[in-house]
Amino acid sequence: MCCNSYGLIPISSPPPPSISPSSLHPRIYFPNYPSNFQVLGTKFGSLKAKSKLNDVVSYAEIDNRSFYDLLGISETGTLLEIKQAYKQLARKYHPDVSPPDRVEEYTQRFIRVQEAYETLSDPRMRDMYDKDMAKGLHFAFSARRRYQSDESMEDKGEWRNRWQSQLSDLKRRSMHKDSSNSMSWGARMRRQRNEASS
Amino acid sequence: MAEQAYTVASDSETTGEEKTSPAFPEIAIGIDIGTSQCSVAVWNGSQVELLRNTRNRKLMRSYVTFKDEVPAGGVSDELAHEHDMLSGAAIFNMKRLIGRVDTDPVVHASKNLPFLVQTLDIGVRPFIAALVNNMWRSTTPEEVLAIFLVELRAMAEVKLRRPVRNVVLTIPVSFSRFQLTRIERACAMAGLHVLRLMPEPTAVALLYAQQQQQSAQENMGSGSEKIALIFNMGAGYCDVAITATAGGVSQIKALAGSTVGGEDLLQNLMRHLLPNMKDLFSHHGIEEIKKMGMLRVATQDAIHKLSSEMAVPVDVDLGNGTKISKFLERAEFEEVNKEVFQKCETLIKRCLCDAKLEAEDVHDVIIVGGCSYIPKVRNIVMSICKREELYSGMNPLEAAVRGAALEGAVASGISDPFGSLDLLTIQATPLSIGIQADGSNFVPIIHQNTTTPVRKEQNFTTVHDNQAEALIFVYEGDEKTVEDNHLLGYFKITGIPPVPKGVPEINVCMDIDASNVLRVFAGVIIPGAKCPPPFMEVRMPTVDDGHAWSAQTLHKTYGSTLDLVTVKKKGQH
Repeated sequence: MCCNSYGLIPISSPPPPSISPSSLHPRIYFPNYPSNFQVLGTKFGSLKAKSKLNDVVSYAEIDNRSFYDLLGISETGTLLEIKQAYKQLARKYHPDVSPPDRVEEYTQRFIRVQEAYETLSDPRMRDMYDKDMAKGLHFAFSARRRYQSDESMEDKGEWRNRWQSQLSDLKRRSMHKDSSNSMSWGARMRRQRNEASS
Repeated sequence: MAEQAYTVASDSETTGEEKTSPAFPEIAIGIDIGTSQCSVAVWNGSQVELLRNTRNRKLMRSYVTFKDEVPAGGVSDELAHEHDMLSGAAIFNMKRLIGRVDTDPVVHASKNLPFLVQTLDIGVRPFIAALVNNMWRSTTPEEVLAIFLVELRAMAEVKLRRPVRNVVLTIPVSFSRFQLTRIERACAMAGLHVLRLMPEPTAVALLYAQQQQQSAQENMGSGSEKIALIFNMGAGYCDVAITATAGGVSQIKALAGSTVGGEDLLQNLMRHLLPNMKDLFSHHGIEEIKKMGMLRVATQDAIHKLSSEMAVPVDVDLGNGTKISKFLERAEFEEVNKEVFQKCETLIKRCLCDAKLEAEDVHDVIIVGGCSYIPKVRNIVMSICKREELYSGMNPLEAAVRGAALEGAVASGISDPFGSLDLLTIQATPLSIGIQADGSNFVPIIHQNTTTPVRKEQNFTTVHDNQAEALIFVYEGDEKTVEDNHLLGYFKITGIPPVPKGVPEINVCMDIDASNVLRVFAGVIIPGAKCPPPFMEVRMPTVDDGHAWSAQTLHKTYGSTLDLVTVKKKGQH
């Protein structure tokens, strides 16, 4: 319940090993997504360009935007600005007020905005996120999960923990790529099964 | 209104057929079904209006009388209540009883009501009955509620001169999702379609959001964020909510609720006035019911008077030499109900803590519900929130239904030219939802006070080598062990390949959508497997009556053979 214990990472902690496709290969196994895996390596270079995109963005592109971009605020934005941006976007994307034919899509967007808000409105989580972003490791969607799991992080093996969770995040992210057509979890699993059995 | 008999339109779960949207959307009405009183409100095009019954009353007693062939509720017939209560024919407090099994302490506490509540203590539906012509006529809380809702609907249709189908209902924070399905079923039986079930204090929060937005517009103010604590205590339940409001958006930060209310105050005081009450009334004969009813009416009256007076005389003659003649002081009443008031304190403190706020962070403290008139309750709220004054912009008995009517208009897609409906509630989950794992532990997947809509997942693994099946038990609540939480349902995932324990990765994903529908997905992920086994996608809750019983039987039959454990993080040794 208490959210104060996750910020235990000392600044001098060993940096995570640099991520390149070759170093990832033996450690993560993507059962059914060889194509996504390829995409992963190229994404880093194009992050900046992607984040410039504004309106007509597909889910895949939204995923690559930082939390700041999601909320439409600068990286120096104040808590007040974060709160205001969140409420404004909630007014737009919350399924209660979204156009009836776009509820599904807007719900997804709302969940991402919520995640961005929850991370950035918490000073410690925001600090961690900023540090990761400086390293070029910002994955907007599902990143919060990592920060939350860090709550139970122990001092000793923490950098390894963090590394592991980053790996799993990469994996999750690549999994998520598959849902770029707004597929439900169920649909994804179905497809995964079909692909595997074919 | 006599021909408006109790008609069962559909006994199936809620949203059977989807209505094609008409050119002019039907504005959903707001209904507040209180344990003791009910009210109906609707957006009339420019503001929220409470509907009045034929007796010109806005608040109607929540009860149903089984006298003749056709049961009658308290919507039209207000005066009959106290008389019917003495004859055993009136059933009330259905909101306290709905969706509860006969092992529930709340059901046991209801045995002092002047009708029949009998339990076998095995985890099935209690036997509830009204005395009609000296014979017990069995009923259920759902049926009683449905009869009452049919009357409310008829009243609203007469007033609004249009058919009424869509409703927004307020519910206590502590209601489990199983109880919500019972409410939905009662509505379906009354031909009503539930658009939203809104925790009562969040309905109040929406009304507050509208008031704040209006005053911000009038003062050309910045409309900066305001934090409000809402304390709602009625006859059956006590709820607390903390909301952060700005620009018409009410963001629920934390919710806390408990089954404690005016009914407990009443029963404690009745026991205090008549210590051997339990023995006197145990037979539930016509005489006992009459005595119970008389004591109840006298005690209720005393509590009401003690809100304005320091002491009241209580005089009841229960016959056979049992006579109560006493001068009851307010301090005495407060002492007798010490535990109830302590519970209220705990709820407020917990809610503040869950919202990560201090009392000083709160701008407005709002207190609503029937118990808000009790001086002790007001003092508790004011002292914890450290203030001299409470928010005064709302009628404590109408706030929830007004909020529900606002939500009804917003959720029906109505807009207002003056921006009075530019409102939004961002809800949070009142209780954690998770599964049974690591023995009989409750492992939450969606935590309490998580903003909805939401989707969360967690991985589990098997406890036995070659374990081919696993049982996913879905529970709701905030207790450590599953027995203390509400069972929502269970399903089996099969076809786990024969591998050593701890190898299969079983992914359990929970999803709550905008309509508050909970779906649970579970599937096996085996790295490198050519053909992953099938996965399951189940809408919850699935349980019907007698669920506590079936959980025990399942445990007896299968033991731990179908158990799961949480996956330990690899970095931790």
